[in-house]
This record gives sequence, C-alpha cells and structure tokens, in this order.
Amino acid sequence: METLYQQLRSWFAHAPDSVLFWVSVAIPIIFVISVFPGIFAYTTLVERKALGRIQNRFGPNRVGRWGILQPIADGLKLLIKEDIVPRRADKLVHFLAPVIAVIPSILLFSVVPVGTGLVPVDLNIGILFAFAVSTASVLALFMGGWASRNKFSLLGAMRAVAQVVSYEVPMVLAAVAVVMAVGSLSTLRIARAQAGGVLNITNWFVFRPWGFVGFVLFTIGAMAESARTPFDIPEAESEIIAGYHTEYSGFKFALFQMGEYLASIAMAGITVTMFLGGYNGPGSGPGWIGGLISMFWFFAKLAFMIALNIWIRGTWPRVRVDQLMSFAWKMLLPMSIINIVAVGFWHYITIRPLAWIITTLWLALWFITLAKLAATEGVAPRTYRYAS
Amino acid sequence: METTFWILSAITVLGALFAITLRNLVHCVLSLILFFLGIAGHYFLLRADFLGAVQILIYIGAVAVLMLFAIMLTRHVTGDEGPREVLGGKWWAGMGTAIIIAGLLWAVIRKDQLAQLLPTGAAQTSVAAIGKALVADWVVPFEAMAVLLTAALIGAVVIALEEVIRRR
Amino acid sequence: MGFIGKGLFDGMVVTARNFVGSYFDKERLVTVQYPEERVQTPENSRTFPFLVYDDDKSPVDTMRCVACKICEVECPPQCIYIVMDRDEKGKPRQRPKVFDIDISVCMQCQICVEVCPFDAIKMDNDYEKSQYGRFDELVEHLPDLLKSNEYYNRIKPTEASAVDAKLKAEKEKKAKKAAPAAAAKPAAAPKTTAPAAPASTASKPAAAAPAAKITIPEDAPFTPEQRQWLSGFLSTIPAGAAPVTGAPAPPAPGAQTPAAGAPTGDWPWHDPALGMQQRLDLAKSASLADKLMAAMAQTDCHACGYDCRGYADAIAGGAEKDLSLCLPGEAETADMLKKLMEEAGKA
Repeated sequence: METLYQQLRSWFAHAPDSVLFWVSVAIPIIFVISVFPGIFAYTTLVERKALGRIQNRFGPNRVGRWGILQPIADGLKLLIKEDIVPRRADKLVHFLAPVIAVIPSILLFSVVPVGTGLVPVDLNIGILFAFAVSTASVLALFMGGWASRNKFSLLGAMRAVAQVVSYEVPMVLAAVAVVMAVGSLSTLRIARAQAGGVLNITNWFVFRPWGFVGFVLFTIGAMAESARTPFDIPEAESEIIAGYHTEYSGFKFALFQMGEYLASIAMAGITVTMFLGGYNGPGSGPGWIGGLISMFWFFAKLAFMIALNIWIRGTWPRVRVDQLMSFAWKMLLPMSIINIVAVGFWHYITIRPLAWIITTLWLALWFITLAKLAATEGVAPRTYRYAS
Repeated sequence: METTFWILSAITVLGALFAITLRNLVHCVLSLILFFLGIAGHYFLLRADFLGAVQILIYIGAVAVLMLFAIMLTRHVTGDEGPREVLGGKWWAGMGTAIIIAGLLWAVIRKDQLAQLLPTGAAQTSVAAIGKALVADWVVPFEAMAVLLTAALIGAVVIALEEVIRRR
Repeated sequence: MGFIGKGLFDGMVVTARNFVGSYFDKERLVTVQYPEERVQTPENSRTFPFLVYDDDKSPVDTMRCVACKICEVECPPQCIYIVMDRDEKGKPRQRPKVFDIDISVCMQCQICVEVCPFDAIKMDNDYEKSQYGRFDELVEHLPDLLKSNEYYNRIKPTEASAVDAKLKAEKEKKAKKAAPAAAAKPAAAPKTTAPAAPASTASKPAAAAPAAKITIPEDAPFTPEQRQWLSGFLSTIPAGAAPVTGAPAPPAPGAQTPAAGAPTGDWPWHDPALGMQQRLDLAKSASLADKLMAAMAQTDCHACGYDCRGYADAIAGGAEKDLSLCLPGEAETADMLKKLMEEAGKA
C-alpha cells in the first residue's frame, strides 16, 4: 500500500495528501471486492459443470448459454427467499454467524500477492495474519450451530469445530517450514524468494523435498479448513442434514456458502504463494509487462488449485469423523514436525546434492513408518451372531 | 492515533463489562471475544504486530473456542438457564478486590517511576528479533514453558485414555 | 506396484478420464435435454382420453362417438359430461354436442375405452398438458378431444391397426348382409322366461328395415345375449333415423336374457321428440309397463342398464326397484315413474 501511495504521489504530485491516501486505500479494496467474489461466483458454476461431466451428465446449461447466468440466478433466488429464523433461536447470534463466516474469508485476500509487488497490504507478519484470521472463522461455525437451537446443528457444529481446529495445526506447521526456508513471514517476500531459476520455475518450493511434503500437508489442511469433500462431514446432507447451517435460509445461507468458498479460494491463493511460486513464471518480473504476466501466472496457478479441489471433490468419498481425527493427529501432525526438521537439514547442509539425499530419505522413511503404524488395524473377517 | 486509542479502549472495556453482566452465557463469551479483539488492537497500536496476531490466533482461536466447547458440553442444549444473578450477594467483595488492584496498578505505572524501569533503546519487535531473544536471552523460561505445555498435553491424553479404558 | 495412496490416485485417473471423455465421446452423456429432445414413451403408455374421427374433412360428422353415455356412467371419478346433439325438431343426432373431460379428475383408468362399444374414445399419450389455472383450464372440450384416426395410428400403431381391421371387417359384413334386403331380425333368438316379455308385441318384422346386422366386436365387455341384442338394436340405426326398439328384455347385467325382438310400431309414444304429456296421452290406454315406458326419455341410451322398454318391463314386473335410473329423463321422469307406481299400487 505504501508503494501504491508513492506511485500515485509521483503521478499526481499536485493532489492533496489525504485524497491520495484514501485513493491508495480504496484501490486494493475495490480490486479484492470485485475480483474475488466474482471468481467465487463462477467457481460455483465451473464446479457444478465439472462435477457433472465427471458424473456423465451436463452441468447447469439452461440459464444462459452454457449456464453462464446460473450464479446470478442463484444469487437472486437466495436474495428473495424468505428469511426464516427459528422461534426460540438466539437472534443476535443467529444473525452474526454468517457475517463472521464471511469476514475472515475476505480479509484473507489482503495478504495474497497477485502479481509482482501487488499485494493489497504488505504486512511484516503476513502469514501469521492469514492464520489468525482463518482461525476466527471457527467461531462462525460454532455460533451458527448453537444459535439454531437444533440438536443436529449443534452436533454438526461441534464436529466442524473439532475438525477445523485439528487440521489447523499441521497446516500451520507446514507453513512454518516455508517460513523457515525464506526467513520472513511476509507473503511478498516468500513469493519473491521463489523467483529465479530456470524459467522462474525451478525455484518453486514444491520442487524441494520438504516443499513437496509441505504442499501436500498444506493442501489437505486447507481442504479440511473450508470443510470441502472429502472432509465435509460438518455439512454433508446425507450425514447431518446440513450441520451448522441447517436452519439458515435465503441470503444467510448464501453467506455461509460464500464464506466457505472464499476461504477455499483464499487458501488456494496462499498455497500458490507459498509452494507454487506465487506469481513467478516464465516472463514475470518487475515493470508493467512483467507485472501483467505475473498476474496471469498467479491466476493460472490459482485456477489449477481450484481445479484440483473440484477434481478431488468429484472423486474421493467422504472421510468418517473418527478416521478424520486420527488422520490429522496421528499422521499429519507428526509429518509436519518431521518436515520442519527436514527444512533444518536442508538449510544447514550446504552441499546441495547431499542435502537432497538426506532430506528425501528422512522424509520418506518417516512417512513409511507412520503409514505402517497407522495401518495396523486391518479389516478383520466379520463374525456373525445368529439368533438361535 | 488518539482517537484510535479511545475507540479501542471503549470496545475493550465494553466487551469486558458485557462479559460479566449479560444473562446468556454464550453472549458473555462472545463479548469476551470482543474484548480480546480490543486488546489485539491495542497491541497493533503499540507496534507489537507479532503479539497482536498471536493474541488473535491463540486467545480467539483457541481459548475462546475452548470456553465455548465447555459451555456447549456442560449446559443443557436448549440453553434455558433460568434467572441468573448478575451482581450477586457478595458484590462488595469483588468491588473491594478491584479497587485494591487498581490502586496497585496506579502506583506501579506512575510516570516518574516507570520510565526508569523500561529498557532503553528502540523496541525490537520484528519476529526475527523475538525468535532470537527467545532462544538466546530467555531460553530457560522458554524451555520451562515447553515442559509445562508438554505436561499439559500428556495430562490431556491421560485423561482421555482413562475414559477410553473405562469404556472398554 | 501398489504405492501408498494408489487407490486415491486410481480414482483420480478414472474421474479425469470421465471428464475428458465427456467432451469427445457423445454417448457418455446420457442426459436427455428435455424441451429439445424427448424420451420416446412406449406404445402402451396412456395419459388422458381423446375421441377418434375418421375423416379429416369433416371431423364432427365422422366422429365415432354416438353419445350413448356409457363412458359417462362407467367413469369412476365421473369426469365425463356428455350432452347429445339434437336437430331442430329435437330428434337426437347420434353424436355429442358437448363432451367435456375434466383431466384434473381423470385417473387414467381406461375404463371408458374398455366399455365403449364404438371404439370412439381411446387413450392418448400426450403428457404436456400443464395450464396456468387449476379449474376451467383443465377441462377439455369437444374440439380439443377430437383427433383423427391417422393420429391414433401414429401413436399406437398396433392397437389402431387392430381396431381398423375390426371395423373394416364389420363394415364388409354389413355390406354383405345389405345385399339381400332382409329385415334386421336377429334369427332364432332364445325365448326368455322373463316376466316382462310381452310376447304379443314381439317378433313382428320391422317397418323400418335396416340393411344388415352390425356385430359387436369380440373384445367388448358384453355377454353373448347382450351382444346379440345390441347388434339388433344397432342395426336399426340408419343415418339420422331414430332408433326403434323392439326387443324386450334388455341386457341388464346377468339379470335377464333379452328376447331379440323386432322393432315394432306398436309404441307410438317411443319418440324422443314428444314431450312428456304427449307421450303419456299416447300411452293412456296401455298397460302399466307401457305407461312407465312412456314416462321415460325414449333415447334407448342404456344409461339405466336396459333399453326403455326393458326398464319399463322391469319396473312393472317388480324386478327393478330404482325409479331414478333414467339419466336423460332426469327428475321429470323419476317423478312421473313414482306417481305412476303409486297409482298402480293403489289401483
């Protein structure tokens, strides 16, 4: 934001200070608010059509050619729906829950760099801010479930909170590995550290052993954070009706959906920044042309991550809640700590090939050990008891 | 700067006040969350951004969630608690304690005495500096806290394990 | 070659193949895009009834329905409403003026099709009948219901060709019988022991001799006696003429076997164009059964289950107690029948 302010200063040297200040504040806000909810709306359409094609059917194709106007139709429908609040629900909390679901998701976009030097707010503690804010969205789950005065909503809320909180830990620790490698919490610096290399590609952290493991851990954690399949126990219809947002109708429900999708897109953006090289790609760099190309690369990678999310959603079955918890605490958490140690090895072993070998071996051996330990309970042959 | 300080203080104090006076327990916890937000704002105002972010991450993300879980699991689900006394019978005890603590604090933070206690030089607030300080100057408290946290973790596992063993 | 997570990876490959394949291989997508494409319904599927006509140039004249009202009576939810068409003098033309079917009531049981002796009403398979209202908009009137025989052949080829063959066979038989200009006396009808058989008036050769005997199709739900009677009755209908009944003992379900009688001129009141009082005057000196018959509507529509003579005989003989069965006659007939029975009881 400071650099935008200085840039505007250099162009409009005669304008008053406060105007320039507010303009430099408004431009990133307008950018975030117009671009990312638009991406959200069309992600819902792309998701429905892609899931349809995977399931051998068309997606929505009635509203507008290829269903292009479908998100607008959905939004309008939800807007004009009757807003039902259960009679004995806690009105204030019921009203605030969707609001608190959306605010952190939008705030997350303020630390995602979309191009060279283009981040709405360049915080020194960018990554930490992102995690702090995404933790606040946990509250919305709980508030939604509690305020509905519905046993199933409450149960869904409890499971949702347990899931989100347990997957946050390996996610944050995987991010810590990247922070260790870069030496700074600022997202802009993390993206900048992945520039260079062949075609601006080979320096991406996903091509390092610890980065690859970290990428996998972070992606799984991000999917669980925003309660996407295969981790959508909190809101799956066949499981618990709709969990914590059962009693919401109309636009409040739309806000919950928006919060969830925006969180998943924002987490995808942060994954891209931390592991996939951010805005780096062939041709990206400072300056106008380089900046535009870097923006293109960022959105291409974001599209890839969103497509991966949709692909996984269409493929894998839902994880049962106890399997979910044991996976997080027994597999992902140890793996993320081991990943941190691996980054330490990488940093301190200065001979690169040796560092590669040792890090890869360390990670692979521990992964196999954990997998074997977790797979001890096999499938026993079923014993039957007949009525005599 | 001044107006920000007063607004943040208002939010903080109101949050704390509502946390002790509201009838519905969940509303109390929610206003406590508002209080935590106000404190985090104060940290940001003092340019201790790491501390502010960690305040949000830990207090709101973990402590408040823990309190909500506790309420959820121990209260009747429908939430009808019946009338609750806001200022109980022994209100003068609480008031007296508050006055004593306020007096102590005022005595401590009076300007002339405090300036001698503060370290000189610019505050090192970058995360790198905090990290270095933790493992260089303050390593003993750091390790002690690590032991404490590990003990707490093991204690939680033991309690859960007992229940699992008992259930089997 | 199973690495950890192979199952997950294989799943992803399957879905990727499905996704990419759906763009290149058109048979993968089994969706039928409804308003543009439709799934072909089987031939036997049915929705609501329609009336068949034979010639496109004059649908109303060539419709097969004669407004006998059997389907109206037999319809379980009573969704059909028929009014017979009459000419200027009041004589009935054998076709309906009003034929309404309320398709919000119709339960598509096909009973009307099964009981129709003329193959006039058949089941359509058009399911796109949504309207914007719930009441009047869902009543189908005669113009909507008339559809051509070609349409019937198109939607149900097997059924329609069977019906066409049968009708053609009947027409040929009728033409063969018309060559010897014999009376339409059904030969050697079994005599009945039914009490309501005035033997004196039976078996007189008809004045209005019809051309040939029309046979009722084999799959129409009538007993052989009923069928024979109906054939006799129907053969008395040249185009536009009033039906003349001669037969005693109408085809009541299982009750009596009708004696196939020739239509006679012995019942001068048997003219639907006459008013009630005229008919009673004509029958003033006749027996009770005749007076009862004169009180009825004279259409021989079989709504009561008999023809007019048979109903009168049944009431007079005591076999039929219900005096309100005459549909065309409505309340007027019912009251008159009651009055006549009371007078007869007192006398």
